[in-house]
Amino acid sequence: MRQQSVPAAGGDVIRLDGVTKTYQAGSPPALADVSMSVAAGEVVAVMGPSGSGKSTLLNLIAGLDRPTAGTVTVAGRRIEVMGESALARFRARHVGIVFQFFNLLDDLTVADNVLLPAQLAGASRRQARARAGELLARMGIEQHQNAYPARLSGGQRQRVAIARALVNSPELLLADEPTGALDTASGLQIGRLLRELNAGGQTLVLVTHDPGLAGRYAARTVRLVDGQLAGAGLEVPA
Amino acid sequence: MSWLTVSWFGAIRTATGGLLRHTMQAVVIGMVLLVSTASATLGFALLAASNTPFTHAFGAQRGADVTVTVNAARASSAELAATRSLGGVTAAAGPFDEATVQVQAGGQPFGQLVLAGRASPGGAVDDVVLNAGHWPDGPGQVVLDASPGPGQDGGPGQDGGPGQGGGTQLGSTLSVTGVPGAPDLIVVGFANSITNTADGWVTPGEVARLRAPGTPASTQMLYRFAQAGSYAQVRADVAEVTTALPPGAVADAGSWLAAQDAETGNGAIMEPFVVAFALIGLVMAVLIVGNVVSGAVVAGYHRIGVLKSIGLTPAQVVVAYLSRVGGPALAGCVAGVVAGNLLAVSVLSQSAAAYRVGSQQAPWWGSVAALAGMLALTALAALGPALRAGRLSAAEAIAAGRAPRAGRGYAAHRLATRLRLPRPIGLGLAAPFARPARTLVSLAAIAFGATAVIFAFGLHSSLSRAAASQTLSAMVPVQLQPFGPGAGPQQFPDAAQDAAVTAALRAQPGTRYDVAVYEDEVKLPGIAQGVNAQAFGGDASWIGYGIIAGHWYDAPGEVDVNTAFLTQSGLAVGDTATVMIGAHPVTVRIAGEVFHPSHQPTLLGSVQTLPGLATTANLQEYYVGLRPGTGAAAYIQAVNARLGSRGPWQATGPDGGQFYQIASALIGLLALMVAVAAGLGVLNTVLMTTRDRVHDLGIFKALGMRPGQMLTMVVCWIAGPAVIAAVIAAPAAVALNTATLRAMASTAHTGIPASFTEVFPPSRLALLSLAALAIAAAGALLPAGWAARARPATALRAE
Repeated sequence: MRQQSVPAAGGDVIRLDGVTKTYQAGSPPALADVSMSVAAGEVVAVMGPSGSGKSTLLNLIAGLDRPTAGTVTVAGRRIEVMGESALARFRARHVGIVFQFFNLLDDLTVADNVLLPAQLAGASRRQARARAGELLARMGIEQHQNAYPARLSGGQRQRVAIARALVNSPELLLADEPTGALDTASGLQIGRLLRELNAGGQTLVLVTHDPGLAGRYAARTVRLVDGQLAGAGLEVPA
Repeated sequence: MSWLTVSWFGAIRTATGGLLRHTMQAVVIGMVLLVSTASATLGFALLAASNTPFTHAFGAQRGADVTVTVNAARASSAELAATRSLGGVTAAAGPFDEATVQVQAGGQPFGQLVLAGRASPGGAVDDVVLNAGHWPDGPGQVVLDASPGPGQDGGPGQDGGPGQGGGTQLGSTLSVTGVPGAPDLIVVGFANSITNTADGWVTPGEVARLRAPGTPASTQMLYRFAQAGSYAQVRADVAEVTTALPPGAVADAGSWLAAQDAETGNGAIMEPFVVAFALIGLVMAVLIVGNVVSGAVVAGYHRIGVLKSIGLTPAQVVVAYLSRVGGPALAGCVAGVVAGNLLAVSVLSQSAAAYRVGSQQAPWWGSVAALAGMLALTALAALGPALRAGRLSAAEAIAAGRAPRAGRGYAAHRLATRLRLPRPIGLGLAAPFARPARTLVSLAAIAFGATAVIFAFGLHSSLSRAAASQTLSAMVPVQLQPFGPGAGPQQFPDAAQDAAVTAALRAQPGTRYDVAVYEDEVKLPGIAQGVNAQAFGGDASWIGYGIIAGHWYDAPGEVDVNTAFLTQSGLAVGDTATVMIGAHPVTVRIAGEVFHPSHQPTLLGSVQTLPGLATTANLQEYYVGLRPGTGAAAYIQAVNARLGSRGPWQATGPDGGQFYQIASALIGLLALMVAVAAGLGVLNTVLMTTRDRVHDLGIFKALGMRPGQMLTMVVCWIAGPAVIAAVIAAPAAVALNTATLRAMASTAHTGIPASFTEVFPPSRLALLSLAALAIAAAGALLPAGWAARARPATALRAE
């Protein structure tokens, strides 16, 4: 099978070489011999139909799962060979993740949810609280810092999730269908927020099935079909 | 079976298929029920062995409430016959002439036997059961009582003595010494008298030939009374007979109560602590089974909804969840019955040999009751959550998916944040408050398990003190006893042989104390049977008898007594009593009550206070205390070398007391079983919580929680309840130890010194309380490790 790759620009924050992921022996791979890279400061959208391997790709980049074959390099580190402890530390410091269904912890307040990655990474309490306050203000939800996630709207919860993902100033922000569970208006707000982050230099990989979202906010789009890369990247219209 | 019935159960089988995946929960249920069923089976077995065999045998044999020994010269046959008509007498047998003989077997001393002359074993009272051979039908024949005497197993209530019937076979020849012609008696049979009215039986005409010249003729009457249920009633019955006969006619009286007490046996004494462990196991079983099923229901809301939406009825859902526990419960209960029976065999074997009644296994009804009882309790524990599952609406269940969060635990998390604990610890400590019911069950399981462990340590310590006190092993590491015939009359050691002992002891540099111990039976008005009197030929305060009340005698005229003495006489510490030593009355003052468990009343004093006891014939043994640093084994060897093998006296160590060894082993095993069950209960709870929160665990991992932090957090889920459980378990175990020990002592008819229950100094109790944390940690580690190792992506995919 011919290896397909997508052209990239600048220093690479992410590099995948010949990555394959098979969940069960004998079954078709979720990802098949994928090679791609993402440069610092890029916004890359990963698109494809349901079951194409988008979330699998994101999980491998985040170190939430391990490839069956191939190498995954993030922020200059080969993460597929790291132990679980090292991966957890790496994730806390270098990768922020935003999930489709927010994945906030319901029994912690908004502030505590945002603080958690910093605390797990060993940041000082004062520094962590200052950073969390700054992010909540930036997200426009500082008035809800003592509230519980169950009382927030979907858009507000996703803002909390984004703040949590950024608290340790990671090089890389991964968003898996960040607007998938939101109404249109909230989705647009989140999209604009992500663009603002990228404008500030944040590298962003965005998994989405929404071509409008990809077209509006991503400079480059990677397509997956049945676990394989399909075609060259698409440029975002200027 | 109709098609409808087949399909009804068929749907349940299909629905249950998925539920059978939960192996760990099945193991937990099975193990918990194994522990509780085994304890219950053992408890029933001990209960049956303690009471049923003797009670049945006493009734079946029309046992004698009182055996009266009469001086034949003081009462005529007519006067004895007239006592049958006394108001309280319901049945009588006799008079049977009797003779007390010294017997040898194979040239070696066999012991003293009381032989009664009876033409046949049957009768209105004391229907003797012939177990082997035939009843004497001519001169020179004897049937021996087959039951082992007191002291055969070294337990409480057993105070050592020659075993009747033991060591002889049918056809053995016994030689009667001290009687003209030294007649021989051939053992033609073995029989059993439920109250040991005699050590053996001969033909009525044989008795006169067996009496030593000059000994008064005695005869025995056997009575059953309308009221003889207590020692006080028996004393009144004996008084009635004594009053009806001429003065001085009644020489001795034996009570059925003393025989029953002697046959109480070690099984009954162990029963209180076995019952304690059984109850602990029982409560834990109910809690854990209920928790398992409840957890299964909560975790399976979505599944329940799907099952109902495709047509499973509420009744079928209930049956499906009940069957989930049914299989492992049945397996655990059956295994528990087997284990309980195996445990019972070793404990019962001693008491079962006593009268060849009862059996060496647990009674069948005990096994059935334990099995049925535990299964019923399991079904009840599972029924509540199963009914809840049945009542749940399909739509609610599907919509809820996993258990809906009820918003509990927020305050705990806020508090944990304010306490500035490391985040994984704070998250772990606060988590239990989200599920208070499940947390309470875990807390209870840990508390019961820790209570069992602390209780076991305490009971072991208490029994060790009791063992050391009973065997005097702490202060009397060496004892000298006669093991062979002496050179004196009736083959007792003579004065020279006794002097050789004293010389041998004084010659040893390791000798710190030594005292001669004289022993004989004395009489006390008010006590139906004889009183065992021990007189010390020197200072005996160093021996170390456990003092229950009062103090060791330290003034002329003072004595110490055991609990049986006070119970049977109705006297108390501080009272005076007149003791008949032979024909001489001696007034003594009771200075104290000592720990000397025995069904026979015992009195301890100096040879000066108890004159007439210090004779060669009564010299029983020497107690020796050693100087610090002197090894007992080497000392014994040196003394025996000096005494030589030709003399009767030999030095030996104290008897170990097999009862305490068996009891300690049993305690350790039961405590271990309960602790393991508690640990499995914790494991199951933490596992359920881990599965419930697997998605949250994935989020923690995605946010950067390391495996070590994950492990810490999960273990902390149970740490808080474990600390509370430890605080509960410590005083509960102390109270349980005291109550159990007192119950055991009561069964053994003895009081106990306060030191036996004071086995929990604060430092030790605090250390033992860590058992709660150990059980919690042991139960939580496995699921904690699983949580730590799980891939974040896998966890996040779980819903």
